[in-house]
Amino acid sequence: MSEQGTKKSGGLSRRDFLKLMGAAGTGLAFAPFVPFGNFMPNPSQANLEKAKVILPDGSQANVKTFESNHAEVITYPSTGDPALDTEAFRKWQFIRLPEELGGVKNDVSSFRAYSMVCLHLWCLWKYWPENGRKRGECPCHGSMYDPTTGTAFAGPASLQAAPSNTLAQLNFELDTDGFLWIKPPTWGVNANGVIGYGRFVT
Amino acid sequence: MDASLHRRTGAVAFFYWLWDGLDRTIFTGIKFSFPARFVSPFGFLGMLTFVVFIILGISGALLMFYYQPMLDRAWNSVQFINNEVPFGFHIRNIHYHASNAMVLLAILHMYYQYFSGRYKIRNEILWATGVILGTVTILEAFTGYDIIFSERAELAISIAASLTTSIPVAGPTIRDAMFGSGFSDFVLRFYAQHVFVLPLVMLGLMAVHFPRFLVFDVPMVMAIGGAILLSGGVFPVDLGFKFVPTQPPGVTVPEWYLTGLYAFLRTQYDKFVTGVLWPGLFIASFLLIPFIDRYKKFSWKDRPIITAFGITGIAQIMVTTYWGFYIPSDVNIPLVQRLVVDPIFLYVVMILLVPLGFGFSYMMIKLAKESERKAKLAKDKGPKKVATINLSQKWINWLIVGLLAFQVFLNIAAYNAALTGMKNISLFFIGIILIVFAGFFHLYRYGLNQAKNAPPPPPVHIPEEKPKELAEPQIVPSKNPESHSLNDPKKEPKIEPQISTPKIQADAGINAARNFDFGSSDLKKP
Repeated sequence: MSEQGTKKSGGLSRRDFLKLMGAAGTGLAFAPFVPFGNFMPNPSQANLEKAKVILPDGSQANVKTFESNHAEVITYPSTGDPALDTEAFRKWQFIRLPEELGGVKNDVSSFRAYSMVCLHLWCLWKYWPENGRKRGECPCHGSMYDPTTGTAFAGPASLQAAPSNTLAQLNFELDTDGFLWIKPPTWGVNANGVIGYGRFVT
Repeated sequence: MDASLHRRTGAVAFFYWLWDGLDRTIFTGIKFSFPARFVSPFGFLGMLTFVVFIILGISGALLMFYYQPMLDRAWNSVQFINNEVPFGFHIRNIHYHASNAMVLLAILHMYYQYFSGRYKIRNEILWATGVILGTVTILEAFTGYDIIFSERAELAISIAASLTTSIPVAGPTIRDAMFGSGFSDFVLRFYAQHVFVLPLVMLGLMAVHFPRFLVFDVPMVMAIGGAILLSGGVFPVDLGFKFVPTQPPGVTVPEWYLTGLYAFLRTQYDKFVTGVLWPGLFIASFLLIPFIDRYKKFSWKDRPIITAFGITGIAQIMVTTYWGFYIPSDVNIPLVQRLVVDPIFLYVVMILLVPLGFGFSYMMIKLAKESERKAKLAKDKGPKKVATINLSQKWINWLIVGLLAFQVFLNIAAYNAALTGMKNISLFFIGIILIVFAGFFHLYRYGLNQAKNAPPPPPVHIPEEKPKELAEPQIVPSKNPESHSLNDPKKEPKIEPQISTPKIQADAGINAARNFDFGSSDLKKP
């Protein structure tokens, strides 16, 4: 005890050590609040169920009546809340391919549904059925999408590395009356894709 | 009832009491001056920016009474404000144009400080907080025009959200935490940020940013307010088209302070590099300037490299701002060709602007030095070439009466226009009223100065009453009121003149009420 004042400590004095302990204790006291960061992301998740392909006029899409080289906007997953259903992330371009690209057959192979959220900067693209176009075009920076695969072939989105050059898609099922249903998707780059991020072409 | 002419009646005493109470607040630490004559507004652009911030706060609070931050209602509520709510059109236009004015004033403020080297002499913290404040101002303006949720707003939100997502590693998490999971969240959270989070951040930064010397020039504040209303009257802001997800929007460009960034985004290069890294580097270079600038002098003439750097930056901003706006109107060529900015072309121009900027600033410095030299030569011989307008007392009075009459006329016109539904014309007239008021106030101020410089009334002999020690020599009113405090006469012992000079009224304190000093310098305590 007597030599306490004369001995030189190895660099960290007792006082500094206790200060550090105090700081660490204060930090640890707040550690339980770290999961409170989960407050920030919105937890609401709509149920991904098998759903009818509901066209804007309210009817269910049917392979026998839906024209080829034609596109409509469909909502999936639909919540029933009109405000939430205007959400761009729930909007899909539902396309029946033009005949020369394989839209002849009355089965699911003639239909595509791609997320309307462009992979570049998330504007909403649209399918243009005019002759010489027959492709998806984004109004913001002019990215163009191939309707058969959903892969960008021109514009900024085409320059992004995979998977960010191919749109997320929905898959269909057909019932005996020719009505179309959406199969429950899996959001992942190796499955249906991630909206606004993309999908690997398998 | 007999009115008391005594100054300190109950109400006045109460106000004096309040005013004295300010002694205990932070405000006594701030030197607040109301200039008594015209001073260049470049010196107090920051104060003007703050005034516009207050205007935005008030008009924004009023808009909050009606605005609904919901995906399917936002646009309709803005339409309701614009078309149905009495004076909603006025408030919305004031808010919109004031936001543009604030961004513009903040940019001008920054460049004035930049070229005059004011970030030196231990003002680095002021400069750094100012740069961050400017960035937050632009974010504030950006979130503001996004929550209308028109077509353009939706595109802007999607670009902001996807740019945030494009940040490596942390991007998607930041986006999820700050903006939420979808557009419904985006609108609500942009709103929360616009009306609360960002203004709070700005107020906090302002507390650090405010210097101790503030200038509040009433005419200039009025002129800025008038200009905001005037531009609202001439260019009333439109509503845009309501965003409908089933009808993809047309081609739109962002607000003018972001088209420069938009031009880079349109080059098709990686969105993180062009949309996040470039503006980040731009802001970082501004933050670092005080630590790079090692010149010992302040003037732009004496800091050629820094001046050239600034001029190159301005040139690049102007070129990219125009480039971002420019979209060929020919609808026959494919959209991608109309929208894509050739990256090689753009970047070559950006690089070419560097030698041009340096050459230009070198030329400017040469010319400035040359004219300085000439002015020095000319000072010795030749007449003074400062033109002044000298108005007599009579004409000042007539002009003030004329301006007042004009204001009355404008008031009636604005009221009539508002009654008949010509909203933007009434806004236009109110803008002119404010500008006329600015002129009015300036003329009044000028008149006061003239009166101060007027020759003293002829001397009238008055009987000597005061003891000799109190009869101090009369202080000559200084011509420049700002320097008034500087040349404070020192109380030096002075030898009394042996011969007594004739006394004039002013010496004995007669006509003290005609002391036109009020408003001429810093606020004085009674």
